[in-house]
Amino acid sequence: MVSQGQGFYSRWMPWLALGVVIVLLPFFVRPAIATVIWIFAILAVAFNILLGYTGLLAFGQSTFFGLGAYAAGLLLIHYKVHLFTSLLAGTLIGLVAAALIGRICIQRLGLYFVLLTFAFNQLFFFIAYQWNKLTGGEDGLPGVPRAPLQFGSFTLLDLSQPFNYYFLTAAVFLLSLAAMKWIVESPLGMIFQAIRENEARAGAIGYNVKRYKWIAFVIAGGFSGLAGVLYSMLFGIVPLDTIHWITSGDVVFMALIGGIGNFYGPIIGAALFIWLSESLSVIWARWPLMLGIAFVVVVLFFRGGCMEALERLWGLGMEKLKPGSR
Amino acid sequence: MELNLSAFLGQLLNGVVTGMIYAMMGIGLSLILGILDIPNFAHGVLFALGAYFLYSLFAVVANFWVALAIAPLGVLLIGMAIEYGGIRRLYPVGINYMLLLTFGLALIFQEMIILIWGPVGKSMIPPAGLEAGFNLGIVSYPKYRLFVMGLTGLIILGVWLFLNKTKYGAIIRAGVEDKEMVNALGINIRRVFTITFGLGSWLAGIAGALIVPVRGLTPVMGFDMLPICFVVVALGGLGSLSGSIVAGLIIGVAQSMIMLVWPVASIVVIFAVMAIILVLRPQGLLGIREV
Repeated sequence: MVSQGQGFYSRWMPWLALGVVIVLLPFFVRPAIATVIWIFAILAVAFNILLGYTGLLAFGQSTFFGLGAYAAGLLLIHYKVHLFTSLLAGTLIGLVAAALIGRICIQRLGLYFVLLTFAFNQLFFFIAYQWNKLTGGEDGLPGVPRAPLQFGSFTLLDLSQPFNYYFLTAAVFLLSLAAMKWIVESPLGMIFQAIRENEARAGAIGYNVKRYKWIAFVIAGGFSGLAGVLYSMLFGIVPLDTIHWITSGDVVFMALIGGIGNFYGPIIGAALFIWLSESLSVIWARWPLMLGIAFVVVVLFFRGGCMEALERLWGLGMEKLKPGSR
Repeated sequence: MELNLSAFLGQLLNGVVTGMIYAMMGIGLSLILGILDIPNFAHGVLFALGAYFLYSLFAVVANFWVALAIAPLGVLLIGMAIEYGGIRRLYPVGINYMLLLTFGLALIFQEMIILIWGPVGKSMIPPAGLEAGFNLGIVSYPKYRLFVMGLTGLIILGVWLFLNKTKYGAIIRAGVEDKEMVNALGINIRRVFTITFGLGSWLAGIAGALIVPVRGLTPVMGFDMLPICFVVVALGGLGSLSGSIVAGLIIGVAQSMIMLVWPVASIVVIFAVMAIILVLRPQGLLGIREV
């Protein structure tokens, strides 16, 4: 469980580290890749509210990521909406879709829950695939403009500059992270963890377990939608892959590789994963093969080592959740 | 499109053929799920491997029936190897890692298929003697598809007999129900796991091999099939053979019928059917175990 009464140092250290990394990262990798890292970090941390905190292995987070991306993309293309409107719209559609889908999925436990989230992911994938006129189908939705960050006629930040867009994304990431941190440390977050630890007991105490699982699902969906908006503007296109189940699998992998027992763990997972896949995709068109091999090798042979290394790296004076949710 | 009786019957039969294939996939997956408690993300690529093995074997031996008999055995071996070499190591560390392993394997096999057989789809004509249509009175229907219907029915019957009428089948069913108890009774549960994984993979391999003359092959056929198996299992209930058959047929026929009136929605409708059934019956259609 989260240890109470943390020191000033352990509380703010991760944020300081993140601040330093955010500033330095675009000097080491291309700004576009650095931007993708923070976008997926939002997704992975949001997913970890489900897996790490509530014990729900949702295998369909790209549903909300994709819906947010498509919604924002369409609004930006057809209505040239304000940046904040697009961010809000994507978040909203993520929330609403997660509310509806979650309502059905949380009816089932364990394995069935996984299968259902996955199946709904596919439902929305095929809708996006078939609804050519709206989504561009297989070719993706091109021509998404980056709305400038402006108030009236005053332009605060010209987002067509890669660095400016990078820092906007990083700012949204930090705000989301703070919000999610606040949620998991609130009484609500404690209930999530109680459900993870012992669902039957949480129910016996009087908590409506299904309702709280649903709330966790909706929260994760909202942040995933928000991440989708940032993704749609990044390359000016919403590729069909955005909503594919493999993207959902990637998010699960990021969280697990980074460590689901730690609030900040999935951020490392996202960074490693994006960096690895970007490096591999430059080398070889069949890079998912190497990615798959990396999965298998890590899972079979470096499981302990990788996690231990992360624990050492991140365990220093930092709060620790109970490692593993099960 | 004009809706006439023969088109309707033809599509209905198509739906039954597809549904039987779905049912076999669902039964295989459900066996694996029941034993391992993980969604086997490699189940779809096992289906694709069955199809590609048949294609290549046919090119070598030039006999469809020999290829059809051998190709699924290759998939069976791969399935057992996955369990023996990979999943077995992960029982102590939990399902999250097993999930990742099967996900990684799915990626590997998918990419291997593209590397070995190329990214472009292939097709194959039905074996000699089954190319023509068979006159059913109102509609003439391809003989090969009738054969698929019959063979899948026989195999499912065989699996049912194996699971319900043999001692080993009873052990597998007991393993689905309660692993610890089976282990406590002195049965080598590890070996049961390997064999069950093999059996489930074999069923996926047959389904893949059988579908080749009907739909042809594409590298993504496995990834397309995977979510459908998941829906079949979620609807039919874990460890329930009859549940998988009912769910498979419902989805196959529903998909086929929608083809007549609104072709682009035929895949979306699978998931819509699933959502509706689960809203009405959250426990699924039939199921031994409520998870």
